[in-house]
Amino acid sequence: MKSQLTIDALRSAVGSMPNDGLAAARDAALKQLNKRGLPNLKDEDWKYTDLDAVIRISNEWLAAGAKTSLVAVSEIEAVTSSLDLDWLVIGNGTIDADSVAALQRPGLDIGLLSELDSAPEFDAPLADLNVALLRDGLSINITADFAAERPLGILHIDSADAGVSVSQTRVAINMAAGAQASFVEYHASSGTAAHYANSVVDIDLTADSRVDYVRLQDRSALHSQTGRLRVDLSERSQFHHATFDFGGDLIRNDLDIQINGGDCLAAFSGLYLADKDQHIDNHTRVDHRVGPARSEQEYRGILSGSARCVWNGKAVVHPGADGTDANQANHNLLLSDRSEIDAKPELEIYADDVKCSHGTTVGQLDEAALFYLQTRGIDKSTARQLMMRAFAQKIVDISPILSIRESISDLVAKRLGQLITGAGQ
Amino acid sequence: MLEIKNLQASVGGNEILRGLSLDIKPGEVHAIMGPNGSGKSTLAQVIAGNDAYEVTGGSVRYENEDLLDLDPEERARRGVFLGFQYPVEIPGVNNAYLLKAALNAKRSHEGLDEIDAFEFLKLAKEKMALLDMDPKFLNRGVNEGFSGGEKKRNEILQMAVLEPRLAVLDETDSGLDIDALRSVAEGVNALRHPDRAIILVTHYQRLLDYIEPDFVHVLSGGRIVRSGGKSLALELEEKGYDWLKEAANG
Repeated sequence: MKSQLTIDALRSAVGSMPNDGLAAARDAALKQLNKRGLPNLKDEDWKYTDLDAVIRISNEWLAAGAKTSLVAVSEIEAVTSSLDLDWLVIGNGTIDADSVAALQRPGLDIGLLSELDSAPEFDAPLADLNVALLRDGLSINITADFAAERPLGILHIDSADAGVSVSQTRVAINMAAGAQASFVEYHASSGTAAHYANSVVDIDLTADSRVDYVRLQDRSALHSQTGRLRVDLSERSQFHHATFDFGGDLIRNDLDIQINGGDCLAAFSGLYLADKDQHIDNHTRVDHRVGPARSEQEYRGILSGSARCVWNGKAVVHPGADGTDANQANHNLLLSDRSEIDAKPELEIYADDVKCSHGTTVGQLDEAALFYLQTRGIDKSTARQLMMRAFAQKIVDISPILSIRESISDLVAKRLGQLITGAGQ
Repeated sequence: MLEIKNLQASVGGNEILRGLSLDIKPGEVHAIMGPNGSGKSTLAQVIAGNDAYEVTGGSVRYENEDLLDLDPEERARRGVFLGFQYPVEIPGVNNAYLLKAALNAKRSHEGLDEIDAFEFLKLAKEKMALLDMDPKFLNRGVNEGFSGGEKKRNEILQMAVLEPRLAVLDETDSGLDIDALRSVAEGVNALRHPDRAIILVTHYQRLLDYIEPDFVHVLSGGRIVRSGGKSLALELEEKGYDWLKEAANG
């Protein structure tokens, strides 16, 4: 990493933020950021992902006065009309108050982080940057009497036209005992200039609660995104998750799951479809602190062009977390010899009565299967598409929100079409 | 229908077929027998168009076209079918989907409309009943988790639905128990037709008890060293393949 954040410009940007309930937290986060800096290639967790491009965008945006514009309604509606969800909208880091006001449901309470007594945490890489520049965040509280007709959609949409821009989004979800809800975190973008979006989502599951959570990222090739999803599970709670990365320039997802109670389940999966010079990095970490509990993860990726992807799956079974069952799998198809995957399973086990497994594969499409399909009258290009589709569909099929699976399948098909066209060039 | 003249083919630089000639007419069933390594499977793969096998000489004409000029899918659409010795598992690709896509590829080549979903299901279930197959297999991934016998039945199911003009069945009997062998043979016999030719590639005579060939050819060292009627198969069963080595070398 060659560049550094220009801290004076950052300080002046933080200073010009409103003097609201987040002001003290912003100052404290800025101090920590100043001290610690952003993660770099020397950090074990960041050795494959260089934030240089992100820092350059940030510095350019800070130098130009750290301006924020609004996202056009038409851009927002293009996304919100594509999925039947109850939408909350955050455009260029600014929460759309109307979308919050419009969403009144029994068992659902949505507030702003600036109006809470407690400040958002920033004790993780990039979370300090998130808080320092955070305009405001959403606090979503759900109780057991919440019964939604459709999942909640949280749209993180960014649009940069006049110059490069940067946005921070923050969402805190609190699930009361026995509460259940489904969420779709959607990342979209438009515009002709580069953008860097940084999001932090905290999900706190009280005993016997359940969250189904799908993240869809379909940003433009000019936009980079880093995101941290932190999940805390109490007794008998369940977290079901799938993450899909289709677009973006540099994408880094950190999923951090803490199992703090017995009989919990964390089932999560991911699909990344990358081409050209995209960089998509998925880092997952599960801390099994109490047993018995189960975590299951499966990530899959298809890479073409000069795409580079990272999957690093870490499971830590802490002393005393007996009865832990932790399984991880990562499978990759490389369509070009210029693409690269860095796959790293990591198991750290400090308890005795534990079942853990991991498996990673990297390969090309099976030539024997392609020939078999050809002998049944299917041309090679269709056969390739069919096999890639089948490979990717597995993750759609295990994604937790049934009502949007078909829409995700369509996005997968569209993206695979682009990968195949690109691979032929 | 199929004229193979002086065919030579190699795989990975090893010459396997060394001047094989064979003439097959509609309605005929030919059995190709021979010891391991004699080139039986290579012949099947070359007819189907596997480009891992390099044709270094000779010609193959099918229905007055140069077969070797066609891609595997073009051969399939013209009615050439290969029943694989080791059918490939394709996880996630639905068996019914493949069957329907294969049928429609052929129909489209013949200038016919795509088959409608109801008609297709009726046809598939009818053929499955004939082969003693559970209709549940339609909704599974292609050969995914199938037993050896199930995979072979699935090959014959595809053949029954596609109704090829030329079917090459590579070691269809291997790995089958006697019940499976019977129902597979029944499926093949049901397809015997004056317009259709079948090539049975087999190591053992056993299959020929159930599917009676019109001609038996013995392949050794990449060439046909003897041809005859079905009694030749019985002779092989009795004498084994050892005598062939002398014939091939001499």
